[in-house]
Amino acid sequence: MKVRLSEMSACFQGVIPSMLATCSASGEPNVTSLSHVYLVDDRHVALSCQFFNKTRRNIAENPHATVIVYDPLKFEGYKLGLKFVRSETSGPLFDTMSLRIDAIASHTGMAGVFKLISSDVFEVQTCRRIEGFLLPAEIADTPPKTTVPGPLTELRGLQVVSQRIARAKDLDGLLASTLEALDELLGFQHSMVLVNDDCTQRLVAIASRGYGPGSIGAEVAVGHGLIGKAAERRRMIKLTGLGTELRYGRAIRERHVECGESERLAPEVPLAGLADAQAQLALPLVCGERLVGVLAVESRDPLCFDDWDEAFLQIVASQIAMALDRMQENDEEEPADEVAPAPAAAPQRVRNFVFYRNDDCVFVDGEYLVRNIPGKILWKLLSRRAIAGQREFTNRELRLDPALGLPALKDNLESRLILLRKRLAEKCPEVRIVPVRRGRFALELDCAVELSEKDCG
Amino acid sequence: MPSISEDLARFLQSGISVLTGTRDAHNVPDATRGIGVRVEVGGDEATVFLPQATSETAQANLRDNGQVAVCFSRAMDHRSMQVKGELVELRPADERDRAFMERYREELAEEWGFVGLPPTVTYRMNTWPAVAVRFRVTAVFVQTPGPGAGAPLPAQVGP
Repeated sequence: MKVRLSEMSACFQGVIPSMLATCSASGEPNVTSLSHVYLVDDRHVALSCQFFNKTRRNIAENPHATVIVYDPLKFEGYKLGLKFVRSETSGPLFDTMSLRIDAIASHTGMAGVFKLISSDVFEVQTCRRIEGFLLPAEIADTPPKTTVPGPLTELRGLQVVSQRIARAKDLDGLLASTLEALDELLGFQHSMVLVNDDCTQRLVAIASRGYGPGSIGAEVAVGHGLIGKAAERRRMIKLTGLGTELRYGRAIRERHVECGESERLAPEVPLAGLADAQAQLALPLVCGERLVGVLAVESRDPLCFDDWDEAFLQIVASQIAMALDRMQENDEEEPADEVAPAPAAAPQRVRNFVFYRNDDCVFVDGEYLVRNIPGKILWKLLSRRAIAGQREFTNRELRLDPALGLPALKDNLESRLILLRKRLAEKCPEVRIVPVRRGRFALELDCAVELSEKDCG
Repeated sequence: MPSISEDLARFLQSGISVLTGTRDAHNVPDATRGIGVRVEVGGDEATVFLPQATSETAQANLRDNGQVAVCFSRAMDHRSMQVKGELVELRPADERDRAFMERYREELAEEWGFVGLPPTVTYRMNTWPAVAVRFRVTAVFVQTPGPGAGAPLPAQVGP
C-alpha cells in the first residue's frame, strides 16, 4: 500500500531504530541500523552522517538506498526506496539535525567528538507499508497515548495559562501557576523555568513542577546540553527517542553519589530530570533580542510533543518571556504600611554559614546553599542583620549596593530572590525571606546564626 | 576464510535485531527484518530466517546474485556486528526452524522490553511461514556506532 510521508510523521521521531540498506558499485550489499530518519518534505528524507563509514562510501558510488521506518504506536513498518540527492553542511536542515546531535553529545560528555558531518538528503522514490509484517491485532494492544486532549481542549488550556500569566502579581506566583496549568490542563507533568543570568552566562532553575524538592537552583551553562543549546541558539529544541543515550550520563552522576564520591562533583544542584525521559523540549524565553530564560518540558511518553504541542508551547513561552520582562521593571517599592514588630521568639538551633569569598558561594552547616549574586545578597542580609539588627530590606537598596554586582539594566533581581528564598526553604528553613509588599521583604530567623568568611582552596 | 567464533555466535543468537540486506541485478539494495539467525556447526555458515510475507524482494535478489549482508544490533547498548555472505541454499523453513524462530522472538521481546517496547507488540510480528537463507560467511565487521565502526574482524575472534 502506497503511503504519503506526511501521514507517517510519527515514524520520523526516532523512537524505534530504522534500518538502512546500501550497495557498493561492485554489488556488495551493506545494512545498518539508524537512530533517526529526518522528514524533510513530502518527497525527501535526510540521514545524518556522523562518521565516514561504509554506508557513506556506498552512497558515493551508488545513489540507491532502502530504508525501513517503524510507526512507534502501531509498530507498522514502512519501506522507502531512496535515491541520494545531495549532502548539506550548512543551512536550516543541517542546523536542525545538528542541534539534536550536539544536545545529546553535550549531555553525554561528548561535545565536539560526536557531531554532524553532513545532512544527506534523499529523494523518496517509493513508499509502501510492509504488508504482512504484523499479525492482525485481535488483542487490542496499542499503547494508549497519554496526551489525549484535542485542539479545543488545548486552546482552552492556553486561554487559562494566558489568564494566569496576565493576572500574576509576582514572579513566583506567575511561574508556579503557569507550570501548574501546563500540568493540569495540558498534561505536561514535568516542567521547569530557568532564568538567564547575564553576568555568569548561566541559566538557573527558579521554578519547577513534577520533580519534587531539590530542583531549584540547578544551573546550566548557556550552550551546554539541550537547555543550554536552546538558549544559545534562541531556538526550540526537541529530542525524542532518547533511549539509552541520556540515561548513561545521569547514571554516572548517580553512581558518584551512591559511592559517596559526591564531594568530587562540583558544588552545584544537579539539574532535575526524569531518568527515563523519552522526550524533551526546551523553549527559549526571548523578549525582543534579549534571552530571558528557558522553559523546559519532558515526558516519559516518546510521542508526547507533536507539532501542535510545540506550536502552543511556543505561545506560552512568549507570554512567560514578556511577563518575566515586565515583572523586572515593575518591582519598585510600594508605599510603606505600618511595619509589624518582629516576633521575639527565642532562637534555639545554631546554623553555621560560611561565605567563600573567591567563589561567591555560601554553605550552611557544610552543605552547599547558593552562589553568585544570590549568594552575595544572602551574605549582605545576614551580615546587616548581625551587625545592625536590620530586619527589612528593599529591592532598591540591593540595586544601589555596588558590592552585589547587579547589572544596571534588567538585573533579574526578582528571580534571584525567588531562587534564594526557595533554596533557603529547602536547606535552611529557619532562615526565611518573606515579601512584605512589592519591592520590600523581611529576613526572618528562627535560629541563631554564625557567620564566617573563607577563601576556598 | 573468516568464520564465526563461539563467542560471536552467542552474541548473534542472543535475541537481538537481525537486519538483512540484499540487492538486485541493478545494485538497488533491499532491507528485510530477519527472525533470528542460526550459526551452523563450525561457524563457516549461518542461516537467517525471513518471513515469507515480507521477503519477496529479498528472495528474488538472493536468487539473482546470492549476495547477503546481515546486521546484528542490540538495542540496549547499540553493540552491532555485520556479517557478509554468499547464498548456499534458499528453502522453506521447517518445523525445527520454526521452533528456533519462536524462541528468538521470545528473546527479542525480552530485549526490546528493556528499552520500552511492550512484549505484546513484539509478539505481533508475523514470522510464519518463513524461508531459511543459508549462506557462507565471507566477512565479519564490527559495526557499533562511533570511530572504528566498519573495522573487519579477524578470523576466529569474538566481537
